[in-house]
Amino acid sequence: MSEMKKIKNLKEFSTSADRFEGANLLCPGCAHSIIVREVLNATNDDLVLAASTGCLEVCTAVYPYTSWDASWIHIGFENGSTAVAGAEAMYKALKTKGRLKQPDRNPKFVAFGGDGASYDIGFQWISGCMERNHDMMYVVLDNEVYANTGGQRSSSTPIGSSATTTPAGSISYGETRNKKDMMGIMAAHNIPYAAQVAPNKWKDMVKKIQKGFATEGAVFINAVSPCTTEWKFDPKDTMHLTDLATDSLVFPLYEVIDGHELNITYRPKEKDIVPVEEYLAAQGRFRHLFKDQYKYLIKEWQERVDANWAYLNRREEARV
Amino acid sequence: MANTGWDEFEIGAMLRTFEGEAGNIAGTLQEDRKYTENSSFSASVADWRIEKPIFAKDYCIDCQFCWIYCPDISIISRDKKMIGIDMDHCKGCGICVEVCPTNPKSLLMFPELADEETEIAQWPAKEKKEK
Repeated sequence: MSEMKKIKNLKEFSTSADRFEGANLLCPGCAHSIIVREVLNATNDDLVLAASTGCLEVCTAVYPYTSWDASWIHIGFENGSTAVAGAEAMYKALKTKGRLKQPDRNPKFVAFGGDGASYDIGFQWISGCMERNHDMMYVVLDNEVYANTGGQRSSSTPIGSSATTTPAGSISYGETRNKKDMMGIMAAHNIPYAAQVAPNKWKDMVKKIQKGFATEGAVFINAVSPCTTEWKFDPKDTMHLTDLATDSLVFPLYEVIDGHELNITYRPKEKDIVPVEEYLAAQGRFRHLFKDQYKYLIKEWQERVDANWAYLNRREEARV
Repeated sequence: MANTGWDEFEIGAMLRTFEGEAGNIAGTLQEDRKYTENSSFSASVADWRIEKPIFAKDYCIDCQFCWIYCPDISIISRDKKMIGIDMDHCKGCGICVEVCPTNPKSLLMFPELADEETEIAQWPAKEKKEK
């Protein structure tokens, strides 16, 4: 076991040498690269990375350029997770046979995927990796839409969101189905560690990532990634939107250990909790909800978020 | 290399980011690395910008919020100090200005053609808090 990188405060963290490069083609203000940087900088060990097809993949590997300073592979839309799981299985086999060329190095295996690649297309593959308990980490960059192909709805898209395949208008209020509870599903695989993170709470995030790297076995991370293009807000407000998502409890930050031990890691004070209405109002994709005919949806949103928060609190208390 | 057409791809291409042995990259700062022309570090997205951030060092408290929240690795921090902006990779999103906690802000957005020295000379004064 290699030594964990010590990150006490942001100043100390800022001495990290980034292994993700600029001049990638992600939109200005994209949260994807903020998340990727926080993940990669959490360790000094070697990395074996994969990405499923999605914004992150198409923007960081535009031939003849690559933005990755570590070994990185892209195969298909669904199999970012299995590519890394295969590499991990090979590493383990060579290690048992004593055939590793640099046995003192402890590479970390990380796969990245968008919500489309994880919630929908690569779902079966990820489930397989989690079930086989490979020593790897899967990070979802959850922007709640297929942003790369023009904003089609995915199973992560929440109710009332206007996506290009569920457009809002006089008859429809947009997406009608609720967001899939991916964290619940992954935790139900009884994996050693699953956590929900947000890039604005960098300390919480880095702590969880390091915990994930230290864990032997499969780790699932769900990271909220506000999309300036599809959520329709100004690029400079990315961090503001992430703040709203975590403080309105639309995106609560918690971890699940061994499938049952749930800990809430960020609990905003009573007075700091933002009404969900404010979170919805900040985004163009929910603009139609503020018309009189759809206003009841905002109330439903608030009730849903409150119910989910109460559920998480009860689970934390009950330890089941 | 940069002008390779869409039908001239090398199938199963492997791009090498560094010349020769990579060594310990996590312990090597960007200026000490030997990038190849395949690394996007050698490319530039400066022409994406409409507005650019200008950094007034005098007000900076080195909190590093801009460093952690910059999506384009364009805030250069060395030895726990913020020392400048990488103008080749900055896309001008303005997140660094939004997260800057000082009063007045030590980073502000200006039109791409603004002159850095002139703008720093007429930097806005401290804002008084409304009571």
